[in-house]
Amino acid sequence: MGRSKGLRGVSHLVILDKQAVQALGDPGHTKHRRVVSHVQIAASRKRRAEVVQVVVPTTVRVEAGWDRQSAAWAFASRLRIADVPLDQTHSNAAAAIRSETEVGAAEAHLGAVVHSTSAMHVTVVTGDPGSMRLVAADRQITIVVM
Amino acid sequence: MNPETQPIVNVVAIGQACSQLNVEALEAIERIGELLDVPALATSDMSLRIPTTLRDAAALAVRELGAAPSAIALSSTALRTTLEGLVMQAFLDDHYERYPDSRPDLGDLAIAAAEIDGHLLAGEPDRLRRAAEEIVSKRPDASPEDVLLWAEARAYAA
Repeated sequence: MGRSKGLRGVSHLVILDKQAVQALGDPGHTKHRRVVSHVQIAASRKRRAEVVQVVVPTTVRVEAGWDRQSAAWAFASRLRIADVPLDQTHSNAAAAIRSETEVGAAEAHLGAVVHSTSAMHVTVVTGDPGSMRLVAADRQITIVVM
Repeated sequence: MNPETQPIVNVVAIGQACSQLNVEALEAIERIGELLDVPALATSDMSLRIPTTLRDAAALAVRELGAAPSAIALSSTALRTTLEGLVMQAFLDDHYERYPDSRPDLGDLAIAAAEIDGHLLAGEPDRLRRAAEEIVSKRPDASPEDVLLWAEARAYAA
């Protein structure tokens, strides 16, 4: 699955950070089963027609080394995890977040996704909860620490 | 089959097929994924038989609750979501076959379900694992949500 078709109408957005992506893509990673568990919950809920979407900001994907055309990433690439591109709106928001918090570009992009979504519930699966709290600021999110 | 009760798509049958994946099924799953990725610009005039009561309920939900822009949008979203779930499950099952250690057990899933929702027991993985072990002895088909309910009930009782 490639670019997100837009996140309107999504009631629950689950965002993966770099470490979550790397764990998902590597069956030998110590946290692989843990991240798979969260994707499994999303899949089960979708099968019940609950509108939950797992996404990855494209900047996070770059930092994690996730190439959707690479056979090494075939498993992650088939799981209907949508890209959220760094478009103009997200770039502006990410730049502002980066200026305010001094986080990296990927974290700032993730923060821009958090702030732009209309999803009622946002969950971030992360290895860096401190940065996620920083970029989320006053936006209510659920942080899952790997 | 009575046309009034004929489902749009036999989701149960697809689900059963997904549990016995072969090459043809995997190719079908890949193709479903490709179709879901195509921008939804074209629509079909083909009329799908759906239960009249379901159609009326959808119209009411759209008109009175603003559940979606239209009944078509409501049904399309539900269908897309369910199909995406089936595709995900097929590839997860395939992955579990290849890497058995990656398959989460009920305790893992209960913890993930709690964490993903910010449930009050999300920070108590040991309690959730115990609840999973207890419930699975009585209900082998228990869901992660069943475990959360059981763990919550036990927590209140204690």
